[in-house]
Amino acid sequence: VSDTILIVLVSTISTGLILGAIFSLVAAGVTIVYGCVWLPNASNGQFFLLAALIAWSLTTSFGWHSASAAVAVFAMGIAFSFLLEWVLIRRLYDVPDRNIAYFVVTLGLTQIMSGVFSLTYGVWSDQFTLPPLLNGITMIGGFPMTNNRIAVLLIGYGLLGSLFLLLRFHKYGRALRAVFQNRESAALRGVDVQFTYKLSFVLGNSIVFLGGVLFALAYSFDLTVAWTMSVTAFAIMIIGGPGSVLGALVVGLVFGFTQAIVSVFASPTAATFSYLGVMLVMLLLRPQGLFSR
Amino acid sequence: MPSSTRVLIFIFLTLIALASPFLVAGNRFIAFILGMTFIGILWSSGMNLLYGFVGLMPMMFGGIAGIAAYTMVYLTQGQGWSFWLATPAAALLSASIGVVLGLPSLRLKGFYFALCSLVIQSVITLAFIYFTQFTNGDVGITQIPPPDWFFGERLNGIQFDFLLALVAVIGVVATMVISYSRLGKRLVAIREDDVLAATLGINVLGNRSIAFFIVSIYAAVGGCLYATYVGFISPRAFDVLLSLNVWLFVAFGGRGTIIGPVLGALILAPLPFLLQELQAFKDVISGILIIVVTLIMPAGIYGEFLRRKKRWMAGAARGATSDTHSAAKQ
Repeated sequence: VSDTILIVLVSTISTGLILGAIFSLVAAGVTIVYGCVWLPNASNGQFFLLAALIAWSLTTSFGWHSASAAVAVFAMGIAFSFLLEWVLIRRLYDVPDRNIAYFVVTLGLTQIMSGVFSLTYGVWSDQFTLPPLLNGITMIGGFPMTNNRIAVLLIGYGLLGSLFLLLRFHKYGRALRAVFQNRESAALRGVDVQFTYKLSFVLGNSIVFLGGVLFALAYSFDLTVAWTMSVTAFAIMIIGGPGSVLGALVVGLVFGFTQAIVSVFASPTAATFSYLGVMLVMLLLRPQGLFSR
Repeated sequence: MPSSTRVLIFIFLTLIALASPFLVAGNRFIAFILGMTFIGILWSSGMNLLYGFVGLMPMMFGGIAGIAAYTMVYLTQGQGWSFWLATPAAALLSASIGVVLGLPSLRLKGFYFALCSLVIQSVITLAFIYFTQFTNGDVGITQIPPPDWFFGERLNGIQFDFLLALVAVIGVVATMVISYSRLGKRLVAIREDDVLAATLGINVLGNRSIAFFIVSIYAAVGGCLYATYVGFISPRAFDVLLSLNVWLFVAFGGRGTIIGPVLGALILAPLPFLLQELQAFKDVISGILIIVVTLIMPAGIYGEFLRRKKRWMAGAARGATSDTHSAAKQ
């Protein structure tokens, strides 16, 4: 009996680690965009799903390898974000209450994208699975784990680490944090604020795309994942503190483990329900979040 | 106070609205669209009170309408109440629930209020799906009869359409009265600068709560009428898309004006029925409209009209003064 419990425990921990990495990535992307551009991206879940679906199309319909599909999706994510910034996002940079305007715009975007998905992918299939990145199983301390999941885990934490280093030490990361803290003085110190907005939007969205690809590699998914991801990312952002990347990383990991543990006992909807509850309490008691500066 | 021309225009429009059910009585399809438009007008006038006058975006609007609709159906079918008694009861109950749920969030502004109400809306939608003993879950409740009438009769098509027209007119008149009242003035003061309003002795939270309660009543009455008019309700009918749609009526027509939201509902509410071939693209089209309105016409069509009129009048006035100047020189 104790062996079964141990296996459940190990699988819960590995699921928690993977989900935590993905949640942290997506929430970090969302919070970077919100903290810098003041754009609460309600359609982040749709971007997440878009990335996963494109990866599915590339592997299933075009027969690509998962690794090349992942790289291609990332490149497409960057191109898509630049295009979106150029067509839509830059038009509201100077609007005074632009977070609510952006919120509405991204809700509209959510409606468009979910409509398109249910007319296309929703007709083709209701469950999507990608071929694994790597085949085979590795025994870790006597417990089996698929190589695919290990790869996803390593890539996820590698990405989180490099994101952290980029924001901490690179010139762009410092400019970004300067704009986070005070737009006017950043501009006075020679930071091109508009350019930083653009870069942040592209960076944040590309990270959301990466999260989508990683999720698709680790788990099979359906179209409802978009809504769940949107709720989760917003909850993480609000609880961790809007604009705080550290908050997104910490709370994202906590949420990943919560989801993994709850899924053992109850349906994942219960986890979503609890996120909504915690976010509500947080909004009411401490809207600036746990890790706000 | 409104000018006499405005009163005349208003009376004229009211008469048209009340007469319209009889004018289209021959065609049930058109009559049905008209009825749905009246419900849309009622809803958008209500949403306008909060979005236009207080400046808050209540994304839980659809959820409140849903609570009222389910309560009304439970009271009429489960408990044998009359529709005319069940609707006010359901409206009061759901508006109270709305205020209790919304009260903490009414301290928040702008985006945070919108997000909070979106979260509440999601919780309500999940509740509709999970409390199947009241709501029948995702399947929904079918064959809800029209409101009862004297001698055990039920309202027939034209009578029901006329009822909807009447309720819509009452709804618009009520927003008008509120906007000219002291409450309306206080709400606008809060929208423009809540800190300043508070220092002037206006109870910001209290006035917002009153406005929110009134808006919830609009949502609830509309929800009850919708349930009996369509005869079918499900969690999907009262999800966040309903809130967004009603928001779009207000924003597209012109927030903060009386006629704007009515125009918005008149133009947008019939669209999904008239464009049957494009039914599958309904969400895509309304999403595109939301983006276009936000980017290009933040004041809505009526707001845009007012702006042009003002500019034109200013131009005409300037032309007139320069004429007198040149006349004086000669």
